[in-house]
Amino acid sequence: MKSLFAPNAQPARLVFTTMVAGQVALLLLLWLFYPMQLFPSLGEVVRSLGDLITSQGLIQELWASMTTALEALAVATVLALLISYLTALPFFRPIAFAASKMRYLTLTGLTFFMALMVSSGHQVKLSVLIFGATVYLVTGMTSVILTTTQEEMDHARTLGMSEWRSFYEVVVLGKLDDMLEVVRQNFAIIWTMITLVETLYQSEGGIGLLLYKQNRYLHLDGVLAIQLVILATGAAQDYVFVLLRRVFFPYSQLGASA
Amino acid sequence: MTAHTFAYKDPILTLENVSIAFNGEPILRDINAQVLDVTRPNMKQGQVVGFYGRSGIGKSVLCRIMAGLIRPSSGTVEVGQAQQPVQPGMVGFVQQRYPLFDHRTLRDNLLVAAQRKHAPEAARQHVETYLERFCLAPHARKYPAHLSGGQRQRAAIAQQLLCSDHLILLDEPFSGLDVAMIDEVKRIIVEVTTMDELNTVIIVSHDIVTTTALADRLWLLGYERDAAGALVPGATISPQHQYNLAEMGLAWHENVEAEPEFAQFVEHIKQEIRISA
Repeated sequence: MKSLFAPNAQPARLVFTTMVAGQVALLLLLWLFYPMQLFPSLGEVVRSLGDLITSQGLIQELWASMTTALEALAVATVLALLISYLTALPFFRPIAFAASKMRYLTLTGLTFFMALMVSSGHQVKLSVLIFGATVYLVTGMTSVILTTTQEEMDHARTLGMSEWRSFYEVVVLGKLDDMLEVVRQNFAIIWTMITLVETLYQSEGGIGLLLYKQNRYLHLDGVLAIQLVILATGAAQDYVFVLLRRVFFPYSQLGASA
Repeated sequence: MTAHTFAYKDPILTLENVSIAFNGEPILRDINAQVLDVTRPNMKQGQVVGFYGRSGIGKSVLCRIMAGLIRPSSGTVEVGQAQQPVQPGMVGFVQQRYPLFDHRTLRDNLLVAAQRKHAPEAARQHVETYLERFCLAPHARKYPAHLSGGQRQRAAIAQQLLCSDHLILLDEPFSGLDVAMIDEVKRIIVEVTTMDELNTVIIVSHDIVTTTALADRLWLLGYERDAAGALVPGATISPQHQYNLAEMGLAWHENVEAEPEFAQFVEHIKQEIRISA
C-alpha cells in the first residue's frame, strides 16, 4: 500500500489493479449518491444509451464518424509524413514550419474556404479534418525527426551509406515507431474536430450531429451517454495502436522497457 | 623487455597538417601522423596505434576527421594502400556509445553493413562468420536493446569491420568499462589485428595505460607553448610526442603492463601531459 504514495515506486500488479478498481468504484459511487444533481444519474445515462442505440442509430452514426475519421487520419498521416520527411531538404523547411503554425487557425473560418474549394459536403468535412489533423501531425513528426542525433547519422555514414540512404535508414525506418506514436496521440484531435464539423455539414449524419441534437434539446443524459461512447471508442483505438506498435515494432517495446 | 623484429611497408593512414577551427577558435592545429603497415616475420600482424589526449582536447573531432565525417579547415587525410582522400565509409568508426540500428536485429545490423561490399549470398556468409568469431551467434535474432554493453560493443566493431577497408577507429573504447570488460575489449582488438595483415585499429582514448599496452605507435595530443610560455591555442602533436613503441620494445608483449619499462614510459607520458596542461 505504501508504494502507492512513494515517489517513482513500482507497486505490485495486483496492488495497482486493485487501486484502479477502487478508484472506478469510488467514481461510480460519487455519481450515484452525489447530492447535487448537476449530472444525470447513472441509470438515466444507461437508459438514454439504450434509447440512442435502438431508436436513433447510435452505432451506425458512430460507424459513419469513425470511417470518416479513419479516412482523414490516413490521408493526413501520409501528407504529414511527406511534409516532415521533406524537412531533410532546406528548401521545404519553411513549409513544415508554416504547416505546424497553422494549428492555431480556427476551424470555423477554415470551413468557409474549404466549401469554396470543394464540391460536396463530405469533401468539405474530410478536407477540414485532414487539414486539422495534418498540422498537428506535422508538429509532432518534425519533433520526432529533430530528435535524430549526429551520432545516429554518423553511424549510418560510416557504413558507407549515402546521405539519402542514411536519412532513410535512421530517420524513416528508425523512427517509424515514434511516428506511429505521434499518430496515436493526435488521433484524438480528429474526434474533437469531427463533432464540430458534422454539425456544420449535417447531410451525412454522424455521432457529432447526434451529440449536437442531444445538446440542443438539453438531453444531458444523452449528451453524457454519447461522450462516454466517444471516450470508450478513443480508448479502444489507443489500445489498437499500442497493439500495432507491439506487432510491427517489437524493438520499440524493448527500448521502452530497457 | 624484448624488442621484436619488425619492418614497415606502405602507409595506411596519413594525416598531413590537419587543422580545424570552429567559429574562429582553433581546436586542432597542424596534426601530422602516419600509420604504416607493420610486418613481422612468420606472423599475420595488423597494427594498433593510439592517439592519446586529455578529455575535451578535441579527440572526438580528430576521430570525425579521420573517419571522413568532417573536413579539416586545412590539411589532408589519406587512407588505404592507394592513399586516397578519406571519404565516409572508408574508415570504420565505432563511436563511444556503440550505436547500432535499433530497429534491426543484430544479424540485420551486420547484414546491412556486409551488403555494402559483398553480393547478398557472400554477405550472409560473412555475417555468419563474424557472428561466430565475435561470440554473437546466440544473440543474432536479438534487437540491440536486448544486448549487454559488451555484446553491443562487439557488434558495433563487427559491423564496422564488415564494411570498412581494414581501418577501424575506436573512440574511447575503454571509457566507463570495468576491468573484465577492458580485458574483453583488448582481446577483441588483438583478434581484429590478427584477422588480416592490413587490419589497423586506431584507438583514440584518454586511458593511457590500456592504450599504451595495446599500441605499437602512440601519438600524444597536447598544447604547445610559445616563446613567452603561453599556451598556443589548438591541440597538436609535437615531434617529441610521437612514440614508436615497437622500436622502444614495448609492443606485442603478452603482459607488458607488468614490465618496469612500461611503468616508466606511462609515468613519462603523464609528466608530459602535466607540462602541457
